[in-house]
Amino acid sequence: MATIIHLSAIHTSSPSIRLFSSHSPQNTPNPSFNLPTKAPTFRSISLKPYIASKPRASVITSAVQSLSETELVTVPEEVEIAGKLPAETGVYAVFDQNGELQFVGLSRNIAASVLSHRKSLPELCYSVKVGVVDEPDRAVLTEAWKSWMEEHIKATGKVPPGNESGNATWVRKPPPRKKKSDLRLTPGPNVQLTVPLEELIDRLVKENKVVAFIKGSRSAPLCGFSQKVVGILENQGVDYESIDVLDEEYNRGLRETLKKYSNWPTFPQIFVNGELLGGCDILSSMQEKGELASFFKK
Amino acid sequence: MGVTKEQVKSSLTSKLNPAHLEVIDTSGGCGASFAIEIVSEQFEGKRLLERHRLVNSSLEEEMKEIHALSIKKALTPEQWKQQQESQVSKPAA
Repeated sequence: MATIIHLSAIHTSSPSIRLFSSHSPQNTPNPSFNLPTKAPTFRSISLKPYIASKPRASVITSAVQSLSETELVTVPEEVEIAGKLPAETGVYAVFDQNGELQFVGLSRNIAASVLSHRKSLPELCYSVKVGVVDEPDRAVLTEAWKSWMEEHIKATGKVPPGNESGNATWVRKPPPRKKKSDLRLTPGPNVQLTVPLEELIDRLVKENKVVAFIKGSRSAPLCGFSQKVVGILENQGVDYESIDVLDEEYNRGLRETLKKYSNWPTFPQIFVNGELLGGCDILSSMQEKGELASFFKK
Repeated sequence: MGVTKEQVKSSLTSKLNPAHLEVIDTSGGCGASFAIEIVSEQFEGKRLLERHRLVNSSLEEEMKEIHALSIKKALTPEQWKQQQESQVSKPAA
């Protein structure tokens, strides 16, 4: 079922966690959505040659409303996006200022994907249509995407420019943060430190805007809480540094020293602008309240 | 043997005088993992971080044995009341 967003009806000041629940009663809460463990998996699918006569399974086309019936919504300001677009799985169509369809995408987190498009292509992201897919099954999602693409092609005879094969504008550029490696506190196990660990930690958190001290690496977190934190940060598109507190080779002694430094007993720990923001629970509550987007923008 | 749910409860009760307290043993019996919902007047005017610090320090002794402590909610009585009310109308929250 497609979700139509009524911008005027949403109270961003409301502390309610499910901002969308009252507007899309058919959209039953999906508990797994509260635990994003993956980065927004935004895929641009190169379009296969369209065969007009190819029949589609009618069951699946009902996963979202048709493109033309879906309400067009102006892309909200970055700080408001978290409250106004669903951070859920579905399809979205991006239009430019002239109302030209530029791109149809599918995402596990529509709000995050649209936000990242808006960042990289502000001139092409004027408004958006959103269709939430209730069953975040890959096949259903792809079908929903196809149904919008086919509808558009049928109506205009054109593939949205952003979906043309070879057009890499909308595909996330090789994301630097994906390749980002974890920070290391010391140059190696046998290097005599000239400054105390506390000072190294202090420098590290002050020189980097967002630092996550996690168990394991960012690409393979070793504890559920660290994984959740990495997932949230990735989802929010935060440019953050990570450091593995279990790395005895390069970060020996970090665990104990950091606990004292931050006066916080557990990991992960997230620092923003040199200050401890908190652990996994705090980050999750902030995300649920929709406070994170504006917080990390500062 | 780890910490019991009752120990966690009594430490929090004596130190934070909570208006509402729920301790869930999420360890499956070994007493090393708990989830907590706590409502206390002492949280008034404090940031989430400070609230969590209060809870953590109240459980200083227990924390040595606890492996994972998840603070699901740390609210003031007023926030709790609001949340209770909004939950009645919005089961999704």
